[in-house]
Amino acid sequence: MNHKRNDIKYKVRRFSSGAMVNLFLLLIAISCLFPLLWMFGSSLKTQATVFSDMSIIPKVLHWGNYYRAWTEGNFGVYFLNSVLYTVSVVIGIVLVSSLAAYAFSRLQFPGKNFFFYMFLAAMMIPLPGSFVPLYVLMDKLHLRNTPHGYILCLINVGLSLSIFLLKTFFDKMPTDLEDAARIDGCSKLGIWWNVALPLAKPALAVIVIFNSLNVWNEYILALILFDDAKFMPLQVGLATFHGEFVTQYHLLMAGVTITVIPILLIYIFMQKHIVKGLTAGAIVG
Amino acid sequence: MKRTGIFSMLLISLIVSLAGCGRTETKKADVVIWHWMTDRKKAFNELAKRYQAESGRQVEFKLFAPSEIYSQKVRAATQAGTLPDIYGILGEKKDFAIFVKAGHVLNLNTEMSDNIHEWRNKFFSKALIVNEFEPNNEFGAPAGIYGVPIDVTNIQMLYNKDLFKKAGLDPESPPQTFSEFITAGKKLKKAGTQGLVSGWAETWMIDCLASNFAFNIMGEKKVMRTYAGEVPYTDPDWIRVFSLFKEMADSGVLASGIVSMNNKDAEQNFANGRAAFAFNGSWCVNVYKGMNPDLNYAAMFVPRVSDEYPMLIWGGAGSSFMVNARSENKEKAVEFLKWLTDEKQQAYLAQDTNNLPANKYSLTNISPLLSQFAQTMENTTHPNIWPRHEKSVVIEAFDIGIQSIILGTKTPEEVAREVQEVKEREMAK
Repeated sequence: MNHKRNDIKYKVRRFSSGAMVNLFLLLIAISCLFPLLWMFGSSLKTQATVFSDMSIIPKVLHWGNYYRAWTEGNFGVYFLNSVLYTVSVVIGIVLVSSLAAYAFSRLQFPGKNFFFYMFLAAMMIPLPGSFVPLYVLMDKLHLRNTPHGYILCLINVGLSLSIFLLKTFFDKMPTDLEDAARIDGCSKLGIWWNVALPLAKPALAVIVIFNSLNVWNEYILALILFDDAKFMPLQVGLATFHGEFVTQYHLLMAGVTITVIPILLIYIFMQKHIVKGLTAGAIVG
Repeated sequence: MKRTGIFSMLLISLIVSLAGCGRTETKKADVVIWHWMTDRKKAFNELAKRYQAESGRQVEFKLFAPSEIYSQKVRAATQAGTLPDIYGILGEKKDFAIFVKAGHVLNLNTEMSDNIHEWRNKFFSKALIVNEFEPNNEFGAPAGIYGVPIDVTNIQMLYNKDLFKKAGLDPESPPQTFSEFITAGKKLKKAGTQGLVSGWAETWMIDCLASNFAFNIMGEKKVMRTYAGEVPYTDPDWIRVFSLFKEMADSGVLASGIVSMNNKDAEQNFANGRAAFAFNGSWCVNVYKGMNPDLNYAAMFVPRVSDEYPMLIWGGAGSSFMVNARSENKEKAVEFLKWLTDEKQQAYLAQDTNNLPANKYSLTNISPLLSQFAQTMENTTHPNIWPRHEKSVVIEAFDIGIQSIILGTKTPEEVAREVQEVKEREMAK
């Protein structure tokens, strides 16, 4: 009898503590989802009802806002530009940072620490602080107002943190596998390609997602470097709806909803790797 | 093997994208203009088309928004020598002076004076002053007119006609004097309506109304003498200025939470009929139209406190364009700006964008509400054109002091003493 009572007590306690945790997580999830819901709801309202209709989903749905946002914001051109910039920059960062981080971790060369700390120091310089020198440099190199100039700048921006993350990862990686590969006749580049990179997949996933997000949301450098609208990324299209005194919230929210979709997809497809990447140290060990 | 294939494809796509998206040379327009005015993009492009049809010259407007990034781009372009033919300089007059002294802006004195000041006379005088440097100015810039205003702006009061009717007030005769304003506010409060809303969390708006009252009570000279340190803030006239805010707060004319309200919220409150008065700039016509197209309201001049000196409200040039002094196309640029500021184009801009035109002869074709704003342009002033300027820490103490008066934590006399102490500290430096 006593045993049964204890069992019920235990089950009730477990259920109630589980319910509390779930309720807490539910509240967190709602607080995270609410801005997205508000964004989506506002994207289906008119400019006037954004301020007067407080319901999340309005009674009359204005799907035409999406068409207007796409055409008035010139999203057709900007969307392709953003895809091109994001893909190019992320490939560039993954290639350069993995090679550099592997070299910093495994190779011995003069000034190794100096160069590594210089990369780290670059992380401390905020991008707006370098606008004017970057603009002048790009102009002198005839790379201003060119997509490849912009791509190179963004690769440079993303390198510091990526090298730091990967070097930390490679430092923790056991050398036994590399020794085995060396006995099998692998060159240094071969070890990087066949051993280091496959093991670094979780860290690379974090670098991909982090830099994709950065590049996808970037528009300040684009506005500084580009003179021609045809090169601008998607986020610049959003600024069209944000006037000096008047913001067209319904179109802005429709535009933001469009721009959020690709990033949401990347998260959904890569979430397994992102979680792994965050616990990367344990996996390497 | 599969991984190598994927990586090779990605690498190839990177190389192809880098190689393929190089600088494509397109035919350069006759005049290139950089601007930040998102809401005028469509109208500018339409005007560029009309100009090309009339003159055969191609003008290209390039939009870089938001304005903070635009300013950074302009600064970077001055360093690299890549400024366009026409551009705008945002910021205070001292920033404008830096561009002028560095030779980046064309002096338009000759063009403005041609044919007995034909071009100059088209503008509201206050619109040009902001773009002008007098001889021996405090910034050390060479004298001349360096900018062309394309629109003007001013800040005054708005009132909701429907709420006036509801409170038994005449919607066609808004309060003219401060005491009438307080009486109207009390009636509105009785009818369950909030009085004045404004973005007084943004302290410059408090500063604006306070300086309107100060000019009206003691005149411009005495205000400037205060800035010069010759008149203390403890002077009875200044205490009167501070007391007006106490009077407004005590009589319940001010909407609740006004000192923590930003202008966007204030605009929303007025547009949705939650307050009867607003203190806002002429740009609000566009804002209220978007928030509530059916809002029944009108503009009214800031209620005067005294008859001794004129009430001067803040206003002047809204947006201005400058010609790049180093541009190869500067003559074409000036020609275009003359065309842009002509009556017909100015009326089109005003109708399409709901901004006040800079050309005073283009008012016949604008809405009655904009016309109300425009009619007060000759009663405007602006810190940018004052001969003296108050130190920013004193302004800060002044504005925060007024916020404290409204909140009831300090008296006008206490605030006056505190502001004067800050002023004396600054003068001693």
